[in-house]
Amino acid sequence: MAIIELNDFSFQYTTGKQPALQHVSLSVEEGEFIAIIGPNGSGKSTLCDTIAGFVPHFFKGETSGSVKVDGVETLSSTLAEMVLHAGLVFQNPFNQISGSKFTVYEEIAFGLENLGVPGGEMAGRIEEVMALTGIKDLADRSPYALSGGQQQRVALASILVMQPRVMVLDEPTSQLDPIGTREVFQVVRSMTSKGITIVMAEHKVEHIAAFADRVIVLDEGKILLQGTARDTLTDPLLPERGVGVSRFTTVAHLAQKEALWPADHVLPVTLEEAADGFQEILRGDHAH
Amino acid sequence: MSNKLSFYIDRPSPLQRLNPLTKMAVAFAFIIIAFSAHWYWAPLIIFFVGIIPIAVVGKLGREFFSTSVHLFLPLFAFLFVMQSLFHPGGTTVLFRLWFLTVKLEGVQFAFLTATRILVMVSSFLLVLLSTHPSTLMSDLTQRGFPAMLSYIVTSTLQIIPQMRNKAGTIIDAQHSRGMNTEGSLGQRVKALLPLVGPLVFGSLVDVEERAVALEARAFNAPRKKTSLREIPDTGWEKVVRWICLLLVVVSMGSNIWLS
Repeated sequence: MAIIELNDFSFQYTTGKQPALQHVSLSVEEGEFIAIIGPNGSGKSTLCDTIAGFVPHFFKGETSGSVKVDGVETLSSTLAEMVLHAGLVFQNPFNQISGSKFTVYEEIAFGLENLGVPGGEMAGRIEEVMALTGIKDLADRSPYALSGGQQQRVALASILVMQPRVMVLDEPTSQLDPIGTREVFQVVRSMTSKGITIVMAEHKVEHIAAFADRVIVLDEGKILLQGTARDTLTDPLLPERGVGVSRFTTVAHLAQKEALWPADHVLPVTLEEAADGFQEILRGDHAH
Repeated sequence: MSNKLSFYIDRPSPLQRLNPLTKMAVAFAFIIIAFSAHWYWAPLIIFFVGIIPIAVVGKLGREFFSTSVHLFLPLFAFLFVMQSLFHPGGTTVLFRLWFLTVKLEGVQFAFLTATRILVMVSSFLLVLLSTHPSTLMSDLTQRGFPAMLSYIVTSTLQIIPQMRNKAGTIIDAQHSRGMNTEGSLGQRVKALLPLVGPLVFGSLVDVEERAVALEARAFNAPRKKTSLREIPDTGWEKVVRWICLLLVVVSMGSNIWLS
């Protein structure tokens, strides 16, 4: 059953000169992991904010079409209602810390306090998300005295604890180092195993290829391509539009031009795929 | 990262365990009585009979003493010099020093003001030393204090050190581009703009993101908020607070009655 449904949705910011999203139709099944890629200004963040309800309830503008998330018509709903269904985590981990709490444990409780969850119920829920995000040992630390990757996992835990069925992640690793990125992707992987539907805007295509069920390529506010990670990430349209292509795909593509990578072989996206492919070629397994 | 803006010292004691409102009530009672009591020695007595024993019970004697000395010595020295020499309307001359005249009224006034300030600052200091800011704010929110206001208080405590760090980063960045922040006053003033600009505009951008983050955590949800920790409050603490109120009324009443 579809948990997210956009029907011919268009949006233009009050301050915008042209629509940020144009006639976007999209259906996401429950438990699916969708990655959104596209050049800067292609509407990735706007799409994320739309699914989380911040468009049009926080970022104002003109809408047309319809958006339905977890059974709620977002356009006629309120933000306070929407946060129960879809959680939003964005780029800057530092700005997602509430600033009013002195320990990580209290920080995670902040959303529950605002939702009016009884005090006795909180501990169990907090322990659970701390285990899921791997931050149990940080419970008593100040949320400000953490690394970027740790802070972003605290941000994820703080939203997860509110138990939304959809998690919207707007480039959550763009300000993190490789270690922080890997930590965040590990959490994302655990979230998928819990059956949480994930929509993630992300530049790091190698990670997407490893995790995402489906990739959506946005360009100028429209859906340019969508399909499995394998098909979309190796599509020749991507380099043309200046969308991030994995360096492994690029290497194999160059090798293909030199007739070193067989034309009938699919191009690799991840390091493992590239390594396997080149090993096969170097061993001469592939008959010329 | 330092959290110097909070005075709190995590040391279990009977004082630390008290409900924050009780501590505040006692502190306010001390202050109001010190200022309103008709008796000249009242503030000093409150300090020695009330505040110092509480500091000892709270196991905060050392910190309390060192902070007090740093805070009060220069202030009192200044107060006594100024008031004893320049207090208007004094007639009783204690002694003369070249062209300066030290008058009794000035010294008395300085003493009264000093002891009142001593009571005011030291009772608040004890509240701050023994109460974690988040405990204070949770308790106030539970008692119906607006969540928005308590957010402003606690987030300010946390954000100021962050702003300081940010300013440090900006200064480093400007230094590495060859900006000179040392030298004459004019040079320093000129160097201020490239610091303040990025700091202010950067913070304005942050405000929108922070607002999004707060919304995402249901901060504006129209529900009754709950609290992770219930701050304990006992029956006898309520009695203490009523006694504080009574003492304040008596003190203020006697002031009006006797004057």
